[in-house]
Amino acid sequence: MAKHSMTRRIFLARVGVLGAAVGSGILVPATAHAGSAGPISFARNDPAGLPGLEDLVELLRPLLAELSRDTLNGLTTFVVPGRDAYSRAQGTPRNEPGALDAKATDFMIESLDNFVPFPQQLAQPMAAALTTALSDLGIDLPGPLDDLLPGQVKDLDDALRVLLENDATIPLSLVIALLLNLVATQVNPLSVHGAFVSPFARLSFEEKAKAFELMERTDSDLVALLDTQLPEPLRGSVSGLLKFVAGALIEFAGFGAFTEYAVFDPRTKKLRGTPVGWRLSKFDGVADGWNELKGYYQGRTKVED
Amino acid sequence: MRDVIVVGAGGGGPVVAKELAARGLDVLVLEAGPRHAKPREEWTHFENDANNPLSGFFRFGPENRDKPAWFREWAQNSFLWQLSGVGGTTQHYYGNCPRAYPGVFAGYDGADKAAYDTKHLFPFSYDELVPYYEWVEATLPVQTAAMGTKEEVYFGGCETLGIPVQTRKTTTGASYRPQENAILQPGGNAGKTSDPNLLQYPKATGCTFCGSCFQGCMEPINAPRNRFAKRSTDNSYVPMAITADVWAGGGKRATLVTDAFVTRVHTSQGNGEPVATGVTWRDNATGDEHREDARVVVLAGGCTETPRLWLNSGLPNPNDWVGRGYTDHFFDWVIGSFDDYTGNSKGVGSSARCDFPGYGGLENVGLPPAIQAFSALLSDSGIRGQYTNGRGMLGPWDGPAGRPMGPELKELLAGGIDNLLNVLVITDDHVEAQNRVTRSVLPADANGPVAKVQFHQRQRSAKTLANREYLARKAAELLRGAGAKKVYRIDWAPLILHVQSSMRMGQSAATSVLDSSAEARWVKRLFVADNSALANGLGGPNPTLTAQAVATRTSEKIFQRYFDGDPWVTNESPVESTDSRVSMELSKLGL
Repeated sequence: MAKHSMTRRIFLARVGVLGAAVGSGILVPATAHAGSAGPISFARNDPAGLPGLEDLVELLRPLLAELSRDTLNGLTTFVVPGRDAYSRAQGTPRNEPGALDAKATDFMIESLDNFVPFPQQLAQPMAAALTTALSDLGIDLPGPLDDLLPGQVKDLDDALRVLLENDATIPLSLVIALLLNLVATQVNPLSVHGAFVSPFARLSFEEKAKAFELMERTDSDLVALLDTQLPEPLRGSVSGLLKFVAGALIEFAGFGAFTEYAVFDPRTKKLRGTPVGWRLSKFDGVADGWNELKGYYQGRTKVED
Repeated sequence: MRDVIVVGAGGGGPVVAKELAARGLDVLVLEAGPRHAKPREEWTHFENDANNPLSGFFRFGPENRDKPAWFREWAQNSFLWQLSGVGGTTQHYYGNCPRAYPGVFAGYDGADKAAYDTKHLFPFSYDELVPYYEWVEATLPVQTAAMGTKEEVYFGGCETLGIPVQTRKTTTGASYRPQENAILQPGGNAGKTSDPNLLQYPKATGCTFCGSCFQGCMEPINAPRNRFAKRSTDNSYVPMAITADVWAGGGKRATLVTDAFVTRVHTSQGNGEPVATGVTWRDNATGDEHREDARVVVLAGGCTETPRLWLNSGLPNPNDWVGRGYTDHFFDWVIGSFDDYTGNSKGVGSSARCDFPGYGGLENVGLPPAIQAFSALLSDSGIRGQYTNGRGMLGPWDGPAGRPMGPELKELLAGGIDNLLNVLVITDDHVEAQNRVTRSVLPADANGPVAKVQFHQRQRSAKTLANREYLARKAAELLRGAGAKKVYRIDWAPLILHVQSSMRMGQSAATSVLDSSAEARWVKRLFVADNSALANGLGGPNPTLTAQAVATRTSEKIFQRYFDGDPWVTNESPVESTDSRVSMELSKLGL
């Protein structure tokens, strides 16, 4: 296999796209068809259908959305774990509800994709950097991911590039998910395989913390590597922004999980139920006033100079 | 042609608008964000609805909440929590109105003189500002804060620190006290019930202890706008400015235009130097551009947007101090968890403080759940028990500084939001040229190149770093003294609030943008009236009152210098913003 192809295979595995493609059946490993006439790839090589790159891009789109959601599930449960599979997988199961019950992942995706005024002129080079910058760090790909044929990998790679480089709007949640997965596989190369779609979601709590340590460190090799792939004058800005992003992802996952987001009806401006975060923190809720006046310290209601 | 255009209706701009409208000048106020004229219809007390920095009604963005917020670049782990809209950042402040420490002004000769930011003093004396403090304190009005449980608990801790109670407006030494607040004291049923039927104005007046200062004040129910408890400028100075003809003899009501982003300040050459002549603003809804001319232009867009506007307008910057010296009180955050009820989520956001002149101060801060979680998670010391980012300081708190996260965050909050007490560390951070606003190289938005805000969290002056450590220890001691069973130090990453001095007035022409009148050194008829005009971080006290006192002083300078008028602050008595003539006129206007 050509070196480039190997590198791309590993990259696609590391950001979670390769595993997601196999998991969804878009790509089918050769071993899965042992005894058949030959390696069966996905539809692009199907002489009957002849769908081209554009079709693969369309197949890829929902897959990437799923990858984003899975990755951010791994993030929000990292900040506020609960009684869900992600919290169990990271080794911090809880008996009470957590981020997923509070729809913190929806909060993050909606915020990132609809409200962060992240310039596309920045999102696109960042995505391009993520898809081109990374060298082979010697991560083995045991199992079905290693069984894919170079042609399949190239097709997937081409589709991802088309999607990231040509789309009018790249969802910021996807850029974040790719970044988290990339760092996840740096912390634990084995996270390219396992339950869930996202390598990040497969990490233990301690490993997720290591991933954030890598992003927060001011001398992060990863940040520097991404930065050097960008044209001036964006170079310094992106590394600084990524440091900001690492902090902001944690802070806003926590903010979202403890707000009324999941049960707020914007039409009536009323709640449909008690927010998870209010139950978790025994918050009495909002009111126009409380019986809380205790008087004035030492009885003094006024001071003069 | 207008007499005066004020750019920005936040904490400072409406002060100039109100003062000069009261003198009969024709004043236009342009505000980039929404009006929020009917808070009971537009607002809720919910945290995401209000405070989501991207989509909340308190965000930095246009009126239409379906549109994205405006982008600013942060080049570090930090968060700049500012907002657009009438009232600006005072919409979510806690009304704290301490005066600056006298040591940060020219001419101070106390024994602790060397403890302050002596290279960046105000270019006038504390005594000169006192009449302006008094004027603003009477106008808002500023009153001694009432106590809730969280203040009782906080004072219990203060009583163990060995420092005295302060009973004056001016702070002269280490001490503690109730805040002097721009919050009307509770009257009638206020503070005694959660029954909305009993909280209808005038059965309740002043602060109802709703605990939602950060979500904007609309209490008591059905009170006139100028009698809402919290004296943010949307409730105080703006109502006065737009009704100036009814309460000031010879006054002329100011014109307020909202959702109008000023993109350029215009100048012409006069006597060999630039003179401000007006502005261009952009209607956020339509994108249409408008131009207005004026005899005087006053910039009050805040510490980030004022330098951006300056730089985008191509105004002179010969010493490169436009946008520099940006102070943020180098905050830190210390949380105590208690076995007993603390009332953390109820009452005014902060009603008690400690002052440590020469170091800064401490204040209690009450929070609802989401901001409480956010505050616990904003750290430069990594995740507690996992990594420290090379910090994770040890001290009289439990374990290393850092974020309590995952299971630990849940356990912290599971004890109950009302069993926590937060102490905000407000450091006397010295002006540093490296902390600054520049124009970002990232793509411009519809209003021009955006601001890039740079804060060097770890490379502050030795005195600033030492001040913060001193205060963090005091905060932990206070919480221990108050009975906390566990104390967390977060080591906040820059939470950029209390922003000051990015367009600073100063004694030295080499390190300041404004002269002692807050007029630009290099552009005549151009003044600055927001926190960016302040000369330094005030030694730690919250900046709003001082910015408003300086803006009042600036109003007199404008009136004397360009309208041949006389000063009034020492000769007249101020009208209180709760005045019934204002209320009646607002009612006529449907506001």
